[in-house]
Amino acid sequence: MKLKTVFNHRDELIAYLRETFPDAAARSPEIADTRGGRKAAEAALAQIKPERYAATRNHLKGAVTRLAAYLRHGVLTLAEARRAVLQRGGVKAEKLVTEFAWRDYWQRVYAQIGDGIWKDRESLKTGWRPTDYAEKLPDDIAQGTTGLRCMDGFADELRQTGYLHNHARMWLAAYVIHWRRVRWQAGAAWFLEHLLDGDPASNNLSWQWVASTFAVKPYYFNRDNLEQFTDGVYCRACQRYRNGCPFEATYDELQTRLFPRASERVSNR
Amino acid sequence: MKDVLIWIHGDCLNPHSPALLAHPDAPRVFVFDEEVLAHYRLSLKRIAFMYECLLEIPRVEIRKGQVVAELAEAAREQGCTRIVTVESIAPRFAQLRAKLQREHNLPVEVLPLEPFAELSQTEQARIELKRFSRYWNPIKAKALALNQSFDW
Ligand SMILES: Cc1cc2nc3c(=O)[nH]c(=O)nc-3n(C[C@H](O)[C@H](O)[C@H](O)COP(=O)(O)OP(=O)(O)OC[C@H]3O[C@@H](n4cnc5c(N)ncnc54)[C@H](O)[C@@H]3O)c2cc1C
Repeated sequence: MKLKTVFNHRDELIAYLRETFPDAAARSPEIADTRGGRKAAEAALAQIKPERYAATRNHLKGAVTRLAAYLRHGVLTLAEARRAVLQRGGVKAEKLVTEFAWRDYWQRVYAQIGDGIWKDRESLKTGWRPTDYAEKLPDDIAQGTTGLRCMDGFADELRQTGYLHNHARMWLAAYVIHWRRVRWQAGAAWFLEHLLDGDPASNNLSWQWVASTFAVKPYYFNRDNLEQFTDGVYCRACQRYRNGCPFEATYDELQTRLFPRASERVSNR
Repeated sequence: MKDVLIWIHGDCLNPHSPALLAHPDAPRVFVFDEEVLAHYRLSLKRIAFMYECLLEIPRVEIRKGQVVAELAEAAREQGCTRIVTVESIAPRFAQLRAKLQREHNLPVEVLPLEPFAELSQTEQARIELKRFSRYWNPIKAKALALNQSFDW
């Protein structure tokens, strides 16, 4: 079936898409502010500050590039992005080029194993068996009603904007897998529904990295870490800050709590 | 070259794609793959993003349905006997490509995309994919240097 290609403005396009893709519109009707297209991609590329990126990228308000969706869909190539930031930043662009390399790395793994990205690459290092993890993503996580400001905020942002900062992706994935003990595949599928940059390789293999099936240890975090890189915006508004925050602990305590059966130390520090 | 139909797919929504540059006058078609949309439950915002990318490709024809059937129909309508596209590592891409040839006798030529970093065969051979560091360390110096041929 042929679709329309001429629209007078964005609202007209969106109204047309709602009619043309009714199933998607019924499941998740949100529209992101992020614009598609080569012009928008070039504008994003022009704004990159490689040095600021290196200094601030772990912070939720850091100078990240937001190139992911354009790279995912090949609107820009990784080669072009690499060249552009090296021309501008020289050695100062090293950190950013290394992050680009992560994409290339996951793509190479995908080229090698194909749909194998949906299976555990290695065994779990958490002390739990694969069958100890729930098959399905609990509704309160997807709906953003866990009562944890941070995780609910991330779930809302994912649904509304189709984007999450890398650190938020890591925290949310760790929460799903290690605190709620849900199979990484369930979380990965949820992300792929919503992310504008949803990419089977980068997404699934990152989930596996958090889970420990593609890493030497699981990734987890504590409240201090989340508070630091969010300026405490979630914690300040959270009812559970002094009332059962599951992330408030030292890494040693969390290790005992989350991975009591792990044979080796899996500390993050 | 009237016989060429360009197949635009979701891994290269780029108006400067090598396929478009090689055949600037050829008809070009993108198909929203209904099986993929349903399987991944892709959200409307993702479809909108992709649609906006597509609208910046001059004279693009956008379709939805079964990819192979839609491409075959477009080829018939335009009188095209072969398809040109660019590489994709998605397993589904290889399946669709084989099916176009098998069921519709449409050969698919696949053009390469510029790699992240140009590596020699020796460098390529040193890469191991077990961990990121084993991939990155052997090629790091090369990837962080500007290739002069592109520097003007
Ligand atoms: C659980 C989880 C799921 C993820 N899912 C995806 C996904 O579906 N698609 C996706 O592109 N990235 C994914 N990532 C990687 C990373 O989080 C995003 O690429 C990044 O946050 C996108 O924002 P940005 O463009 O502003 O990134 P920046 O920090 O500005 O980085 C620049 C570019 O480098 C690449 N990049 C950076 N970090 C990574 C990384 N760790 N892995 C792969 N590429 C990277 C991306 O293409 C990114 O656009 C995931 C990470 C995690 C922890």
